[in-house]
Amino acid sequence: MNILKLVADLAATTPNQFEQPADRRDALTSLGRFGAKTLAAALPLGLGSVPALARDTRTILDSLLLALRLERLQNAFYTQALTAPASFFPADTSIRASIVKMQAHQQQHAALLVRLISTSNGDVPAQPRYDFTGSKNNTQAALFPSVFTNFDDFLTLAQLLEDTSVRAYKAMVEFLVQDNYILQTALQIHSTESRHATRIRMIRRQRGATVKPWPSPADADITVANKTAVVYATEHATTQLLADYTSVPFRLLPIGSGANILTESVPEAFDEPLAADSVEGLLNLFTL
Amino acid sequence: MQRRSFFRAAGATLATSTLVLAGCKDDEEPATPVVNNVIAFNGFDTTTRQPIDDGVLNYAYLLEQLEAAFYQKVVASPPADLLPGELAYLTDLRDHELIHREYLKALLGSKAYDVSLAAPLEFNFSSLTLTTRVGVWTAARQLEDIGVAAYNGAGKLLVVTSNLLALGKLASVEARHAALVHEILQSDSFASTVGADGLDDAKTPTEVIELIKSFLPVEVSVAALPTT
Repeated sequence: MNILKLVADLAATTPNQFEQPADRRDALTSLGRFGAKTLAAALPLGLGSVPALARDTRTILDSLLLALRLERLQNAFYTQALTAPASFFPADTSIRASIVKMQAHQQQHAALLVRLISTSNGDVPAQPRYDFTGSKNNTQAALFPSVFTNFDDFLTLAQLLEDTSVRAYKAMVEFLVQDNYILQTALQIHSTESRHATRIRMIRRQRGATVKPWPSPADADITVANKTAVVYATEHATTQLLADYTSVPFRLLPIGSGANILTESVPEAFDEPLAADSVEGLLNLFTL
Repeated sequence: MQRRSFFRAAGATLATSTLVLAGCKDDEEPATPVVNNVIAFNGFDTTTRQPIDDGVLNYAYLLEQLEAAFYQKVVASPPADLLPGELAYLTDLRDHELIHREYLKALLGSKAYDVSLAAPLEFNFSSLTLTTRVGVWTAARQLEDIGVAAYNGAGKLLVVTSNLLALGKLASVEARHAALVHEILQSDSFASTVGADGLDDAKTPTEVIELIKSFLPVEVSVAALPTT
């Protein structure tokens, strides 16, 4: 597919994406390391209408490395939780069993990503260390002081991390279109993370939290301003754009007549992407 | 629109050399016709033979129509033994699928396969048991898992990145639906479709159509969709 996808991606690149200078990558040492937007920027055009540099030059490798950070962090999070005494977990044994499954998946995702990075001639970073209280080893106020002693606090952070993963992979696929195998793999991880997020949400709901199986404006806010608020920033969008930048006229369409159809059902029906820098910011809260 | 912006972005010289590859066309493609009770989704430009997204988007649109019709039927006549809260879930699922259906229809515009049909397709759910909660949720689980696997398999077939992003917004919501329905039927079964390497299922359009053909009133051919 790949040259066709590149051409199509160029066509889909709006002019303002060419406007802002960004770090230019060294050279085209390895095609697999470059995303479409980088190639768009690197084309020797010499055309007055096209500034030389694209705004977002994330590569396939950049995306795989971000995905690895996400998976390693979640794997460490669940692994640490599973070392807690049995009393940490609810009496319903299906709940701990689900956490075991999630941990296994995150470990498998991390291992798969390491393989993909290695075969793309990328360097696999050292395993980071984490503090899931968010206190950076007691150097600042904790966000989740009881994360491994209070099961509801643990679930709250689990939901934030899983929902962030869904949004991160959704944003990432744009930069993977040059490689069908990696693209499909990312989509298959994406829906696994989504299943995790919903299971966590349903456990929280069973325990009395105001939360739906999908991100909803009706959910009780579990975020902290300037810290974890990024997880649901722009998630509850009430408008969707078409290719010509007009909005889908939901109010005129036969989508039902519930009282909250436009303000609640529409945002629920779409999960929104989250840009890599926002994802990094969230991961940094818990990474030493 | 996507392709025309290429001219503005890259200028005429490069555009000329890639005109064929990009499949630029001024004329609207005709909508996918329904001929002799066969809908054939077309994933290639009829002139240039290069891949286009119309066919894959129509395939996604058909899946959303199917899911929406299913939940509309169930909510209109719910089984008597639903547990508390379950009708609210079914209503949410119906609303989400109606929104997905209309979103894809809006994305497709004149390219929607049924734009010239006198009436939308009527799906046939007679093979399902919709008089019990277990029957309804079992059918919902089947449809939602198919939807997730279909989106996971369709992403790589798309040419235009904005369409990939559009389907991605729906795909994870389908996975959330699927996990909900799994959990309603059996606690801790949210990930029973997840296999080796922690990867959720992915299916080709051919595999998906085979699974849903009993619900379809016409034959659907995906033979003319891209396969890579």
